[in-house]
Amino acid sequence: MLDQSAVDRVFHALGDPTRRAIVEQLSRAPKSAKDLTEPLHISLAAVVQHLQVLEESGLIRTTKIGRVRTCQIEPAGLRVAQQWIEKRRSLWERRLDRLGAVLAAERK
Amino acid sequence: MAERSVVHDTIVTERTYDRDPSLVFDAWRDPATKREWFAEGEGWRVEEYRLDFRVGGREHGRFRQGNGVEIRNETVYLDIVPDRRIVMAYTMTVDGAIISASLGTVEFEAVGAGTRLIYTEQGAFFDGAEGPSSRKQGWRGLLESLAEML
Repeated sequence: MLDQSAVDRVFHALGDPTRRAIVEQLSRAPKSAKDLTEPLHISLAAVVQHLQVLEESGLIRTTKIGRVRTCQIEPAGLRVAQQWIEKRRSLWERRLDRLGAVLAAERK
Repeated sequence: MAERSVVHDTIVTERTYDRDPSLVFDAWRDPATKREWFAEGEGWRVEEYRLDFRVGGREHGRFRQGNGVEIRNETVYLDIVPDRRIVMAYTMTVDGAIISASLGTVEFEAVGAGTRLIYTEQGAFFDGAEGPSSRKQGWRGLLESLAEML
């Protein structure tokens, strides 16, 4: 069962273009908050705010080592979004995927 | 549901399979194979499934969801061109209430050693029940960009 409030938080977090850009950046490699200011052209304070929303949504996690806070993707968070979308895929999309699985299984 | 409404929509879904068109077509023609991918696999209990695959022939499916809701699928085949095309008309009902009536066209195109299958559904979706949204692909772009990230 999908936790609806988790789904709400993930889609709220992904509803903002800057936060999506952060997710894109982090999906390439973990980065510090400071590293994110440059490609996004926003202040550190703004980055930190967005990171907080992303972390609360479960899309990223941050770890503080010394004075540096490193941010990285939390795959489980994106899975929430993926599962929600998967459930809304059309009946025919699912059927045609199963047809593909049946055809693949028939191969001798 | 007191509301009476009709929403018309067209859904196009494509897949490419690495089997030739005659094998893909067979999976639509043969009742046991069709049942396997069409009726099974949604987590519904298949209470009845019959397929009479010929022009004018019918397909009848009765399914039960875990919560007891009954779904029926009634299809009549309008045009069959072996390995090339299938045209059918079908309705779906949920607990006896009709939710949609559609014209479905399946096209099979040979692509190299494989097959491109194009499914087009032109439907009338009734009374806000589920609506076309659950069969629509508005989320597809997002799904694909997510898939890239994962």
